[in-house]
Amino acid sequence: MNTGFKIDCIGYGLFAAFVLLVMPWMVDFSGYELNSYARYLALGMVAAALALSWGTAGILNLGQALTFGVGAYIMAMHLKLRASESLPGGMPDFMGWTNVEALPWFWQPFHSLLFTLGAGVLIPVGIACLLGVFMFRGRITGVFVAIITLSLMLAVQLWIISEQRFTGGENGITGLAPLNLFGWSVDTYELSFYYLVAGCLLAGLAVGLGLVRSKAGLVLRAIKADPERVRFFGYDVARYETLAFATSAGIAGVAGMLYALVLEFASPTYMGLSISLAIVIWAAVGGRESMVAAALGGIGVNMAEGRLSDLFFDQWTLMLGVIFIAVVLFLPRGIYGLVATARDYLEARYTERVAMALNREQDDAARPVADRGEVK
Amino acid sequence: MKRRDLLKGVAFGGVAGAVSLSGFPGIWTGRGTVLAASGDIPVGVLFSQTGAVAVVESTLHDACMMAIEEINDNGGINGRMITPYVEDPASDPATFADRANRLVRRDNVISVFGSYTSASRQAVLPVVEGQNNLYWYPTLYEGRECSRNVMYGGAVPNQQQQDFVPWLKENFGGRFYLLGNDYVYPREENNVCRMILDEIGGEVVNEEYVPMGHDSFSSIVSRIRRDEPDVIFCTLVGDSDVAFQREYRSAGLDPDRMPVASLTRSEVEVAAIGGDAAAGHFSSAPYFMGHESAENERFVEAYLRKYGDDQVTHFVNEAAYFQVYQFKAAVEALNGEELTPTAIRDAAVGLRFQAPQGEVEIDANLHTHLWPKIAQWQSDGQAEVVVESDERMAPEPYWAYEGQVCTANGLENA
Amino acid sequence: MEAWVNEIFIGISLASILLMVAIGLAIIYGTMGVINLAHGQFVMLGAYGAWLLQTQYGVSIVVSLPVVFLVVGLVGFVVERTIIQRLYHRPLDTILATWGIGIVLEQLVRNVFGSSSRYVARPEFLEGGYIILGAHASSYRLFIIFFSLGMLAATWYLLFRTEFGTKLRSVIQNTEISECYGISAKRVYALTFAYGAGLAGIAGALITPLVSVTPTMGTSLVVDAFLVVIVGGVGSLVGTAASALMIGEATAWLSYVLNDTTGRILILLGVIVLIRFRPQGLFPDTVRR
Repeated sequence: MNTGFKIDCIGYGLFAAFVLLVMPWMVDFSGYELNSYARYLALGMVAAALALSWGTAGILNLGQALTFGVGAYIMAMHLKLRASESLPGGMPDFMGWTNVEALPWFWQPFHSLLFTLGAGVLIPVGIACLLGVFMFRGRITGVFVAIITLSLMLAVQLWIISEQRFTGGENGITGLAPLNLFGWSVDTYELSFYYLVAGCLLAGLAVGLGLVRSKAGLVLRAIKADPERVRFFGYDVARYETLAFATSAGIAGVAGMLYALVLEFASPTYMGLSISLAIVIWAAVGGRESMVAAALGGIGVNMAEGRLSDLFFDQWTLMLGVIFIAVVLFLPRGIYGLVATARDYLEARYTERVAMALNREQDDAARPVADRGEVK
Repeated sequence: MKRRDLLKGVAFGGVAGAVSLSGFPGIWTGRGTVLAASGDIPVGVLFSQTGAVAVVESTLHDACMMAIEEINDNGGINGRMITPYVEDPASDPATFADRANRLVRRDNVISVFGSYTSASRQAVLPVVEGQNNLYWYPTLYEGRECSRNVMYGGAVPNQQQQDFVPWLKENFGGRFYLLGNDYVYPREENNVCRMILDEIGGEVVNEEYVPMGHDSFSSIVSRIRRDEPDVIFCTLVGDSDVAFQREYRSAGLDPDRMPVASLTRSEVEVAAIGGDAAAGHFSSAPYFMGHESAENERFVEAYLRKYGDDQVTHFVNEAAYFQVYQFKAAVEALNGEELTPTAIRDAAVGLRFQAPQGEVEIDANLHTHLWPKIAQWQSDGQAEVVVESDERMAPEPYWAYEGQVCTANGLENA
Repeated sequence: MEAWVNEIFIGISLASILLMVAIGLAIIYGTMGVINLAHGQFVMLGAYGAWLLQTQYGVSIVVSLPVVFLVVGLVGFVVERTIIQRLYHRPLDTILATWGIGIVLEQLVRNVFGSSSRYVARPEFLEGGYIILGAHASSYRLFIIFFSLGMLAATWYLLFRTEFGTKLRSVIQNTEISECYGISAKRVYALTFAYGAGLAGIAGALITPLVSVTPTMGTSLVVDAFLVVIVGGVGSLVGTAASALMIGEATAWLSYVLNDTTGRILILLGVIVLIRFRPQGLFPDTVRR
């Protein structure tokens, strides 16, 4: 157990206390705000997912919303099928309108809840693996990764909008049934649903932290610093990068599923340019180096947005813009950077004091016995 | 309840430091509890002021707010003032859902006026249906929806097309080129258009969709030139409509031979297109700014005085305006009974109101009986009404679907 | 035959618009490595400038260009001096800062001019069009094609035939040594950024007759312009022009043969493949270290 790991654990514990106790307490453990907070948690989760690939491995994914959106669609497909059971052929209404004759094959398996839950993680992971291998084998880095991920996301978004027969098009998949989780009918305005989301978030963070603190995480941090050198040592850089990229996609997929549950619809805007950049900004505000900090950034910015938009109406966009600029300028490591600096400072002070005390003791020891008594 | 208290106790213990911030939770729950005591009538106003759709939606906001102010200035509804709770959903469906939630669950409004796009209406639906609230939606839309929680103030396909398409065929010919943005509304309108054309012996030479916000139409114009249709049946919206019409003009096509017949083009789009480029083309809608009636004169005058001479009124913000008056009439009809969204809805059915476009009536299926008009655009940016329906047209949201009817009991299969 | 010529012309016309928007971006990215996501908002400012001059003073677009160039250039200068300057050592962070700048500019414009869509008339002498080899070419589009080539030439001249260009290129190659020779890298960067922003402003003014002028018009432009710059190769003017032409023609042909949506999807996928196998771009700048 090194200090880094210990600090992670403390941060994680504090964060868990905040999410499980403080946030629901702030709204009295009830009310519509719990639903909003559950939404913020889902967004915090995707910010954390981004921090995993960006902060740890240096892969700036401008298309993080792609895997997020895919997760949301997967969940929505299952719930839509549930809602359409009484319709002719069990087909979603939008298919009937566009003269689709039978439920297409790729919709069939989503009748099963287990398949849906699995797919919500594995399909994003699969996409990320393919894309990761494609990019990282070609030693693509930096801004090129950003452009490739962004372009792919825009292409998929366009495709989803244009294939209205199968995807609901611009409106997305709406009119969903409530989720029935092994006999428990999920009400998204209940405290229990909030804790479901919080649990998923904490589990996702645990997986991410596990990866970061494993040996693979060490290699990833080395890759971030200097990929050439790591390659020289004989590590397969592409494989490690793909690992981080895919794990991040899996977490984002789960976040997407939760998001679709909270809002009760899936929309192509979930994988748009603006949410994708917003995710990057949340992670930057919280601190890209730590998943927990990034999650807090996502939660915090969205909470602030909720309040600012209430107080300042349409001018909050202006304020958000100014805040982002200020954070980038003055807090390059995000709020996490502030905390880390403060911690380092305290640590330095502490060691200094310990050193001084030690010195004094040594001095004392050197002095005559009579003097020593006076000092005390 | 006990568990909740226990949790609360744990929370208090866990964050002892935060206790010093007494009243802290209040910051996060915000407003909402204050108004219940006063006699005011809380309503939500949910139109985007920012983002891509704000171009149109902010004018709906303006018209809606103007109606609320007018009512309040004239003594409110039975002496009770309307309190508008205004939110900006920023043209984003997810934000729409969130803000609607806030209005309905936190601010306890008894009705919400809002939104322009189909996607945003669909995003709000789970919220208003879940809480059995009432959503006043002023926009023309694709129909085939029959929610008992939405008051549909705009035209559905049959109200826009039943007169329009045969008229076009008669005057210009039956070869139609269907062009729209890629989403539900254009696809459904084009479905309906095909059905009518089949009936009256017209044909569709091409059907084409472009992504939302798409603004390069050179290829499409050259295809139009190739196919030589009699009518370009257009359901492009916003920026795409503007870019297309300008491209049409700069390509030198002739509106007399191949007019653009639009279901979505209003004074807003024409102001952006420029009167010269829009002149000679046609739109079908229940209202145009140039419509002659005493109510409209008053409406236009008040609107321009309030928001500036460079503004325009159009068929969607007219509906946003008269829907507030329909709401008022419904509340008055309740005559002191308890104000709940469902009571207001039931009281509203059958109510008539002298709107700028003519006297409108709310159907039992919660859609609105309207006065369809066909108008030709002039170079000053105004529309001249060339055909006016001589009777109110009933809304049939499932016109294209045999055997399905939207009634007071929701969707019924006949 | 007609259809062929027509599509080729449409492709060139699309390319010219892409090129106009992308040149400024290419200069800024090529010299400073700054990924300027506010570029679309600079274009939007230019469009509003042209609109304002036309509605308030009745000035035609062509006449308003110098004013627009200077004003938007000045905005760029201020932005560089206050914000971008502090970020040269962490280029990826400029993505975030410039996105924030874009949000701020957009909201400021909305506050001042409202959300309405604005109309700008094209100059009268550019109304109408010509028939070339059986294809229809509108005179305004022809004008834009020539103007974009003019912008390209002017930028090339500035970079390779003026003292400022020499300084700029030396700063790009080696900042420290250039500073030893008394070149103020700071000043060179600020002026280059302002120049790039000014070009964006001109592009914005010139596209007003083709698109609608709204506060949100910039966002979609910047993505396309970025694809052009990256595909073209960092810091290469020829590359930017070539990739604009390629993407423009591909858009025209794909949307003619298939449709606009499929065309755009295929182009995005094509760009991905190109970047994967040729990340240095079509015409990599060999001078850069």
